[in-house]
Amino acid sequence: MARTKGYPEALEKKLADTRLYEDERHPEFTKTVEKISMTIPHMCFQCGTCTASCPSAPRSSYRIRKFVRRSLLGLEDEALTDPDLWLCTTCYSCTDRCPRDIAPTDVIMAMRNLAFKRDIIPVNFLKTVQAIYTTGHGVPNNDVNRAARKKLGMHPDPPTTHRHPQYIKGIQYILDYFELKKNADRIVKEREG
Amino acid sequence: MAEKRTKKEPAAKKETKKPAAAKSTAKAPAHAAAPAVSPEKSLAKEARVGVYICHCGTNIAGSIDIPAVQEYAKTLKNVAHVDNYQYMCSTPGQKKIETDIKEHKLTGIVVAACSPRLHEPTFRMATKMGGLNPFRFEMANIREQGSWVHMHDREGATAKAQDAIRIAVAKASLLQDLIPKSVPVEKAAMVVGAGIAGMQAALDLANAGIKTYLIEKNPTIGGRMSQLDKTFPTLDCSQCILTPKMVDVGRAANIELMTYAEVDAVEGYIGNFDVTIRRKARGVLTPAEAEAKGIVGGGCNGCGDCDVVCPVIKPNPFEMGMKPRKAIYIYHPQVVPLIYTVDFDSCVKCGLCVDACGDKKAIDLEMKDELVKVKVGTAVLALGYDMFPIEKKEEWGYNKYENVVNSLEFERLICASGPTGGHLVRPSDGVTPKKVAFLLCAGSRDNTGVGMPYCSRFCCMYSLKHAHQIIEKIPGVQPYIFYMDIRSFGKMYEEFYYRIQDEGAKFMRGRVANILENPDTKNLVINAEDTLLNRPISLEVDMVVLAAAVQPSEDTDRTRKLFGVSKSMDGWLLEAHPKLNPCGTTTAGVFLAGVCQGPKDIPDTVASAEGAASAASIPIHIGEVELEPYFAQCIEEKCAGCGMCVNLCPYSALALVEKDGRKVMQVTEAKCKGCGTCGGFCPGGAIWMQHFATPQVVAQIDAFLLGGEQ
Repeated sequence: MARTKGYPEALEKKLADTRLYEDERHPEFTKTVEKISMTIPHMCFQCGTCTASCPSAPRSSYRIRKFVRRSLLGLEDEALTDPDLWLCTTCYSCTDRCPRDIAPTDVIMAMRNLAFKRDIIPVNFLKTVQAIYTTGHGVPNNDVNRAARKKLGMHPDPPTTHRHPQYIKGIQYILDYFELKKNADRIVKEREG
Repeated sequence: MAEKRTKKEPAAKKETKKPAAAKSTAKAPAHAAAPAVSPEKSLAKEARVGVYICHCGTNIAGSIDIPAVQEYAKTLKNVAHVDNYQYMCSTPGQKKIETDIKEHKLTGIVVAACSPRLHEPTFRMATKMGGLNPFRFEMANIREQGSWVHMHDREGATAKAQDAIRIAVAKASLLQDLIPKSVPVEKAAMVVGAGIAGMQAALDLANAGIKTYLIEKNPTIGGRMSQLDKTFPTLDCSQCILTPKMVDVGRAANIELMTYAEVDAVEGYIGNFDVTIRRKARGVLTPAEAEAKGIVGGGCNGCGDCDVVCPVIKPNPFEMGMKPRKAIYIYHPQVVPLIYTVDFDSCVKCGLCVDACGDKKAIDLEMKDELVKVKVGTAVLALGYDMFPIEKKEEWGYNKYENVVNSLEFERLICASGPTGGHLVRPSDGVTPKKVAFLLCAGSRDNTGVGMPYCSRFCCMYSLKHAHQIIEKIPGVQPYIFYMDIRSFGKMYEEFYYRIQDEGAKFMRGRVANILENPDTKNLVINAEDTLLNRPISLEVDMVVLAAAVQPSEDTDRTRKLFGVSKSMDGWLLEAHPKLNPCGTTTAGVFLAGVCQGPKDIPDTVASAEGAASAASIPIHIGEVELEPYFAQCIEEKCAGCGMCVNLCPYSALALVEKDGRKVMQVTEAKCKGCGTCGGFCPGGAIWMQHFATPQVVAQIDAFLLGGEQ
């Protein structure tokens, strides 16, 4: 603090050394991402078709092209700690149009997996895990929906675990097998107490 | 005049040439007599093989243990001398072979080095200089098939090199003296395709004193270049520099121009190609053809009276379908030859044109296709390109949105002789656009399997030129160029890029993700990312020009198969060597000019055409070509005269003849390509494939399988 002599803290951030140093690069990160995603981010030539196709980019700071570049260079920390990683809607428009036939969406999914291993994940994603565990749905049915369905002449609950709650057990088995629920509960507890 | 000659001369030529061809056939057995009597016996001599191992710098020595290979080679049967050298292909390397042949009384040479495609001729020459027959040389490929592919497996690569040498020594021990055969070369050439490449090649050949047949499938010569408005980077008017050349081609005494014609069949080999040309029914007589029919002063003079009365209207392909033409038509006023053509697919045979033509009697609505045969020594393929059907990339809306055009359509729209007289307008409403976006790499550099993986090479530059043209013609216009990289690689190209940027074109570094149309205004909304700002862009423009990829022209595949030319993975025709022989092909006597070998701009196309013409003229000027003597030979005492080989031969090189009261097979050596089909099939083992004879091949297999024991 002494150095900024009362200037706003932001200045220190502004004046920080932002150069890319070789020791930030982890070539094995590129390989790990390629293995999980089963696609080829190292072939990216940065044309921007992905970002331009992205429904998230125009209204957020999420830049899919930047993440593919980070996976190409092996910038593990920069990629995994960037909260933008969680702004992909997984619509797959970028994958449809990529001229180098990369699946950028799958690159994002792979990096999310790697981030989760380091407990880097927004709480709302974990709440979704908990919702799936208890109801079988990421977005469970509610009374408004039920009323609307009735009005349209449909059964109030869709023919899923909502109507057949006996199958929730199977879903819970899968989530338990990968310890997803356990980890979700643990992290939520750590963050929210 | 030219047309008249076409029909008569080939016929006359055939008659004069036949005896010559027959003579060479008759001579062949006499020539072959020496080895043919009993080729097997010539193998009996004691073999002394010299083996030379090349380091190729570190190319080979880097991953193969040369001393180990040398020690191994010394242990092989028949090996009289082993040596190694840094670069065997260098003068000292070749000298080693020459002196050792005399010193060690060698009968066969093995060089373990690169591919025979690279240096077999070099070492054959060294063998010859040493006093041996050049065909007593055998190459062991330990580079392309050894050190390069097993770079990280020294032990394996060394073992493989030893195998390769053992196999080569086995063959070299059994090699025979062979004498190459010379055949005369017809003093005429053919150029297929009369775009700028074909025209240039034909003019060069003709100016070198060679009779040249120029074949064009369209009714006029000129090709793609005649559709262009201006040319980068000099901004010359394309027609202004092209039409004088077109006229030269039409006038050149040595060029026999055949438009509206295509190659129907090709037979023969270098020096003696018999080409059948289909002259498609044109429905119109040239003045020369009319004269031949006894119509004095008749034939088409290009007056266009027929055009006026014809009731059938069709889109003109020369104008990319943006201007009408009649069923009897010319593409544009500068066509060469200036002869109308009837489109028989759309002609209703009302006969109005025949009446309008009157006494000239130029129109014959009953005309049929005609086959013409010509004999040529060499051929140049200048087959050109088509636009990639860019509607396959659906996200850009070509053929769906009216104001999205491809670059060739843009050329016609901006061209003074085009459908709009050079006033650029939007197809939807005829309004002059004020904001125009140019999309580069549209369908090029695309690995999705929909577009083309290669760079089409001239789109960057013509799009810069397009931007210049609209700035020049439309006050207040704003061109946007969406690019990934600007490839301005040629002479004065980077300067041109500088100039266009200075003129006000905006360069947006990002590939366009998709285009949407505003249905009310027919304006187009472009979604891209400015990758340099790291921000998505949404840009509304009046018109979009797609710099679509190019692909081989429609007829390329059919024609290349007739001439036996291969294509590379991307569909373009395969050159003999990408760097050292870009105009040659693997078929001797057939050469490539222009874009059919790969995308080229006009300067490169012309250079390539001149290269092809020069290469194609060499065998003609020398007057004879040497054929590699890999012919089949009949071992007459074994031949049962069953004739099965005669039917199998893909080159019609074999025949049954009477000899001493029985039938035996006879080979026309000039036709035989040494493919071995007959030799492999002959039930009696009576066919001897020179240089690939059964004992030689069996020795190689034995050497590999049995490790040298035989």
